[in-house]
Amino acid sequence: MKIPAFLSAALLVAMLSFSSAWAEPVKCFESRKGASEVTQRTIGENLTNVKCSPKTGAVLWWSDPFDGTVPMGDMPVQDANFNSEKAVVKPRSDKLGLLPLCGNTCHTGVLPKGFPQNKDTRQLVLMHQAIVLDSTKLPHGRGNIWCLDCHHSTQRNKLVDHRDNPISFDQPQRLCGKCHGEVYRDWREGIHGKRIGEWASTGTKRWFVCTECHNPHNVQHGDRNRGFAQHQPEAAPALPKGLKTADHERRKSGAASH
Amino acid sequence: MTMSDDARANMEWAEWFQGNYRLMTDEEKALARARLERRYSREYGKAVSVDGTPAQEGVLMGYALNIKKCIGCRRCAKACVEENNQSRGKDQEIEWIRVLKMEKGEFSQEKMNQGYPEGLGIQVGGNAYSPAGVVLEGEHYYQPEAVPEKDSAYMPIACMQCEKPPCVKVCPVRTTYREADGPVVIDYNWCIGCRMCMSACPYWARRFNWSDPKLPKEAMNPVTHYLGNRPRMKGVVEKCTFCIQRTRKGRYPACVEVCPTGARKFGNLLDPNSEVSRIIARKNVFRLKAELNTFPKFFYFMD
Repeated sequence: MKIPAFLSAALLVAMLSFSSAWAEPVKCFESRKGASEVTQRTIGENLTNVKCSPKTGAVLWWSDPFDGTVPMGDMPVQDANFNSEKAVVKPRSDKLGLLPLCGNTCHTGVLPKGFPQNKDTRQLVLMHQAIVLDSTKLPHGRGNIWCLDCHHSTQRNKLVDHRDNPISFDQPQRLCGKCHGEVYRDWREGIHGKRIGEWASTGTKRWFVCTECHNPHNVQHGDRNRGFAQHQPEAAPALPKGLKTADHERRKSGAASH
Repeated sequence: MTMSDDARANMEWAEWFQGNYRLMTDEEKALARARLERRYSREYGKAVSVDGTPAQEGVLMGYALNIKKCIGCRRCAKACVEENNQSRGKDQEIEWIRVLKMEKGEFSQEKMNQGYPEGLGIQVGGNAYSPAGVVLEGEHYYQPEAVPEKDSAYMPIACMQCEKPPCVKVCPVRTTYREADGPVVIDYNWCIGCRMCMSACPYWARRFNWSDPKLPKEAMNPVTHYLGNRPRMKGVVEKCTFCIQRTRKGRYPACVEVCPTGARKFGNLLDPNSEVSRIIARKNVFRLKAELNTFPKFFYFMD
């Protein structure tokens, strides 16, 4: 009955991997690893759509910030002080891979015999352990929420709001903002989050949505610091000429540097 | 000399003897830029544009950085190099942004009176053996496997674009000056390389080209501005200009666009709806070394 975690994890990885990074086109990630990748391509003389860091594989430079974006759509907010027509996002719903399939085959709402008939929290034994090991202790919401509080129970390529209405994966802020209202307000007004494009307050901007920077499945994570998963840094600057090490910078306290 | 048959010699003569960019007429400016475009296009083997867009009315560029969100990944510093055509490589590497790593300290009642030097009762900002996290000292050259590290805080520093810039005050030839929309710029052709500005700058924001900059042809960014990222020469000082070649055209600076955590914000301080204006209105904001009365246009903030 119990399937080894490594097996299901391997299965998931094999199923979910879009295509290996070592295939012909260079792929680099935009904000965080594991989300919103771009494929590097030539768009003009000596010009690529993005420049990627050779060390970490992160995007270091956008030539066209609006490449592949669509209007963000409505954001039903009272007194919203922004022009939503000038807000664009990079759609994610068409890159969801298997998720639409899940809703068509098994999770159609007509549950076969043996499947749990309600939305109560339960331990998942077969799938999704690569995303979250213990679904009853999701490191988001301190154990108070689980999969179906955010994911639609029958339309797997949709998120869900508090009234069971489906939300597109392109607009996760409509879901996240329900609990994180203050952050949502800051995000709407450009204080929180990342935008690229034109800086004038009336300019066209590409807005990065919540899940492009945050991984909602492990927001509370062991060694993390200040809300972001750890990742490889870019190379250190060159040492001043004649210096072999940077020991002169170390404090004598013996505190762990490096 | 001007009548030389050698086109390159003509060009160099004209560059050496051109006036201060600020004092040139519009025609002279256009000529100087066209000359540079020809020269750079030939040197780098691609069509290089040298822009001269002047400051716009009603714009005062401002920058804000959320120090609680910086994770020390240094993507900003590398993106800046890509965008602004800095010299790179082992011999001479120039980066305008420095990311400092500091230990997270704490203020506690027992340690309030501890200071350094011991016994003199002079409080110098936290005990030297248990940093308070507010002293401006730290490591630039940290290279861990992964960032952010536990118990570390990061503080990126670049040019603060002061309203009263000490570097401008001390420049003997007035090659560096403050533009009407905020950024402090350098006319590289007029710089004599005395480095007075570097010693005057309290933020360590200026860099000097000790040798000919190493700028690979294929990596050179051909979209340049006369006062911004056009290729520099040996013996001149350079610095952050808020990506003048981008921001004067409406684009965000390169460092804002790559910051993976969205810690960096840019906008018009005179526009109450801009990102920085809202941050200043709503968040806890401080400026570095405010006591020096340099009035930086670079604001650090916290959530």
